[in-house]
Amino acid sequence: MKRVLPLFRRTLFDGWRGLLGWSAGIVAILAIYLPVYSSLASNGQFEEMIASLPPELVNTLGYDQIATGAGYVQATFFGLVGLVMISIAAVGWGTGAIANDEETGQLELTLAHGVTRGQLYAERTAAVAVKLAWLGLVAVVMVLALNGPSDLGVEVAPLFAAAGAFVGLGLLAASASIAVGGVTGRRSWSLGAGAAVAVYGYTVNALGNQTEDLNWLHEFSPFSWAYGADPVTEGWDWRIWLVYGVAALFLLVGWLVFRRRDVAI
Amino acid sequence: MTEPTAAVSTRGLTKRYGSTPALHGIDLDIPRGLVFGVIGPNGAGKTTTMRLLLDIIRPTAGEVRVLGKAPRAGSAALRRRIGYLPGELHLASRVRGRELLAHYAEISGPVRRGAAEDLADRLDLDLSRPARSLSKGNKQKLGLIQAFMHEPELLVLDEPTSGLDPLVQQEFHGMLRDAKAAGQTVFLSSHVLSEVQQTADQVAILREGRIVKQATVAELRETALRRVRVVVEESQVPRARAVLARVPGLEELTTRLDREGAVALMAVLNSHVDAFVKAVATLDVIDVTIEEPDLEEAVLGFYGEDEVR
Repeated sequence: MKRVLPLFRRTLFDGWRGLLGWSAGIVAILAIYLPVYSSLASNGQFEEMIASLPPELVNTLGYDQIATGAGYVQATFFGLVGLVMISIAAVGWGTGAIANDEETGQLELTLAHGVTRGQLYAERTAAVAVKLAWLGLVAVVMVLALNGPSDLGVEVAPLFAAAGAFVGLGLLAASASIAVGGVTGRRSWSLGAGAAVAVYGYTVNALGNQTEDLNWLHEFSPFSWAYGADPVTEGWDWRIWLVYGVAALFLLVGWLVFRRRDVAI
Repeated sequence: MTEPTAAVSTRGLTKRYGSTPALHGIDLDIPRGLVFGVIGPNGAGKTTTMRLLLDIIRPTAGEVRVLGKAPRAGSAALRRRIGYLPGELHLASRVRGRELLAHYAEISGPVRRGAAEDLADRLDLDLSRPARSLSKGNKQKLGLIQAFMHEPELLVLDEPTSGLDPLVQQEFHGMLRDAKAAGQTVFLSSHVLSEVQQTADQVAILREGRIVKQATVAELRETALRRVRVVVEESQVPRARAVLARVPGLEELTTRLDREGAVALMAVLNSHVDAFVKAVATLDVIDVTIEEPDLEEAVLGFYGEDEVR
């Protein structure tokens, strides 16, 4: 009665409550944010709001694009609240994949069975990736559902591109957590690494937004790689691949160490 | 020296954690079909040895063979032939015992239909409860079931009876006997000698990362210290002292007034029972006692005074 991918299925199933919770959270946030767009846009409140905010804050939040429906979705969800949510979920799942399981002592028992380290690492990473992709899909479906009623004017293909960039950023943070878990087996380091990668990308991008002089910082921010070319209106940009590429690099390093080190010491 | 059929064989097995040594070159041979017990105080290296067998940690130096294969090279295929119970079992999963066992069955050797349920009945465990809500003893039962259910060639059990009540311990001993009868090899650890004494054919005593003694339980008993007591008339004491002093392996000779006119000579005897009996036969004795050897004491002797808790 051997079935395929036992560890992948176990990780998915063990985390279904969390996945359900995050999905509900994304649905709720979009249901709160998107419907107010049409009323804000129609009576010029956006211009007033942006004019009343300090320009540094507007640049940081990316609210300069807020006047179009697509820009609004990007600035409020993909670039802000949604990003915070997927990053937290990603770091949590990434930490759970190796480090948390190792610190609680459960990894030892799993590895004592007929699985290889590489198989465990790959299957659990795949489970995290699938969960993140699911959150991206939930966001797409929700935006499409509210697209007409809220007068957003978002196009389908660019929306998928933006969601791809969004999931990529989540995966990058998750990969940092998984990789550091693979290298150290320590929960706090794993959590810290994922959080640091997420915060780094956002902060460097926000600094790069401030003045022309700091524009070059965008080259070093995964956030800028993902969203710099405005995928929610312009569609897929090759730089989004960079986000996935760096995530893959993190995972590779984590795997190389994980396959040779001592577990559970 | 290493017979090809040995279930476990190590040569100079060494493990250091950074600069902290855990095992100093262990040579161990566990023949197939035996119950082999390793005893030692906490931190002696029992768990380290077991983890090395399962490739959870890697040796710093030396050789290991498990069922004829190196753990690293044997990988998943080798581990399917082993059942392992970790010393510190953590089961935090929300899923029910039955589902958790089904998961472990998927990633271990083939499990006969109904095997997990049979073991659960035997240990009196309710498989419909979530794993993490189980008491320590019941989690331990779940751990034992996942180790036994695929009827592996080798069972590696780290402190298997910890948390089990005496009745369940008896049942576990029955499981060990059945495993042995089925030709399975068992490698178990304990810090309680009585447990190993009841179940194991052979014993290794581990202390500070070294095997200080490897013997059968019978051999251990032979070398164990016995308390002896000889009662003679008061006038005979000097002669008795002289005779006993010549008995090899007799130590800690003390005397005490036993009753009016009679004195008890007490000592600790290590192994030379025959010489002792013959020496005593030359005396006019009122009473002689040779106590059943205390293995616990024998083992504590190997641990060293400072380890006695």
